[in-house]
Amino acid sequence: MFALRRWWDRHAARAGVASLVIVLAWAMRQSQGAFIYEIYQVLTSPLHPGLTQAERLENAYVLELQQRVIELENQNRSLRENIDYAANQGQVTVAAVIGRGADNWWQQITVNKGTNDGITEGDMVTGPGGLVGRVTSASANTSQVLLITDPVSQMGVKVSRSRALGVVRGNVDGRVVMQFFETTPDVKPGDVIVTSSYSRLFPQGVPVGRIESMDLKKSPAPEAVIQLSSPLSFLEWVTIHPFEAKTDVNAPPAEIADDSSTTP
Amino acid sequence: MTTSKGKSQLSDFQKTCLNIAIVLGSGLLCLLLSPMRFPGIELLGVAPNWLLIWVVIWSIHHPIVDGAIAGIVLGLLQDGLTGPFPTHALSLMIVGMLTARLQRQRLIQENVVLVAFIVFGMAVVAATTMALQMSLRHLLWPNSPYLTLWQIWRTHQRVALSSAILSSLWTPAIYYPLHRWWKSL
Repeated sequence: MFALRRWWDRHAARAGVASLVIVLAWAMRQSQGAFIYEIYQVLTSPLHPGLTQAERLENAYVLELQQRVIELENQNRSLRENIDYAANQGQVTVAAVIGRGADNWWQQITVNKGTNDGITEGDMVTGPGGLVGRVTSASANTSQVLLITDPVSQMGVKVSRSRALGVVRGNVDGRVVMQFFETTPDVKPGDVIVTSSYSRLFPQGVPVGRIESMDLKKSPAPEAVIQLSSPLSFLEWVTIHPFEAKTDVNAPPAEIADDSSTTP
Repeated sequence: MTTSKGKSQLSDFQKTCLNIAIVLGSGLLCLLLSPMRFPGIELLGVAPNWLLIWVVIWSIHHPIVDGAIAGIVLGLLQDGLTGPFPTHALSLMIVGMLTARLQRQRLIQENVVLVAFIVFGMAVVAATTMALQMSLRHLLWPNSPYLTLWQIWRTHQRVALSSAILSSLWTPAIYYPLHRWWKSL
């Protein structure tokens, strides 16, 4: 007891500081490093790819579209009314990639738009070519995007040609593997893979990639290696689409009705 | 950190404040460098482990308990930047304790090459701790996100080797300023 008292007298301040620092670090971890990412965003802001260039590209694109629209307008007047193009375009957010995974085991990127720009957790992220990933956490001005090459990331997909269904899983080594539900799927190299309607975290019909090679004898399920259509290793700009996941994957399972409580 | 040579004009209080600022500032700098990939920093898609370098340098100058605490704190922060599992707190705590233990046996004598070698070894230790956590999760819990053990350890090979090489090459950049400061205290 006396020894404990003496230890406390001598080390009270150090122990207090140490536990305080650990609690702070824990809080930082629970908040997904939002504070650190905010500082990161401010400090790296001079390095972000300039918006002016993007806007110029966008303007050129808009100009081209306008010219096309003028040409097609006469033919398509009746059809055009059905296409709610503007409303659809108004919702997407273009964001610059400002950081990669803070560790070599995670496949994630940091982008410079956050909750201030209407980004919420679960939004879908696409890049030139196709699907990139989804937003896993968002602070005021940054958000973390989990890439589809991460092992934690899984999604339901289908082969566009034959409608063969399967699941795409990331790998720790950055490759993407598709596991089929059927034992003899109708599939060949070069087939286009899109997200299926069974995917809870992504809307259906978003292009993911092409089949590079496959191993149909693999047990328990046939597998195929997917070549992603989006160049994940050198992305500079991504597009964020608002999307509500169909079910909250983080929620605890629904309570099962207990019959014993109702019956006497 | 305990004795002052009295050659500078700063009072002890000012020195303590400056020390806290430098420790926090350098730690934050390493934290902010982690998600950054400036040109020429990547090797096989792997970047240096800045926090590991910081923990090793801190542990060289401090006792085992302090090394472990620094490892836990920075590990939790890195968890915040990435994901909760596998945790970095465990791997960086082991790194801090091992380095402080090596230092107690007077194996490191202010030799930057030796420090770089220790960073090399500790990067391998840290990557192995991460891979072990993933393997245990894969073996012991159902529905693991990882496909096979073989893949985890093949990635471990790549990550451990590249991050060890890169981290040890970047060690002097953080070692010299911090070492000089702690020496002057």
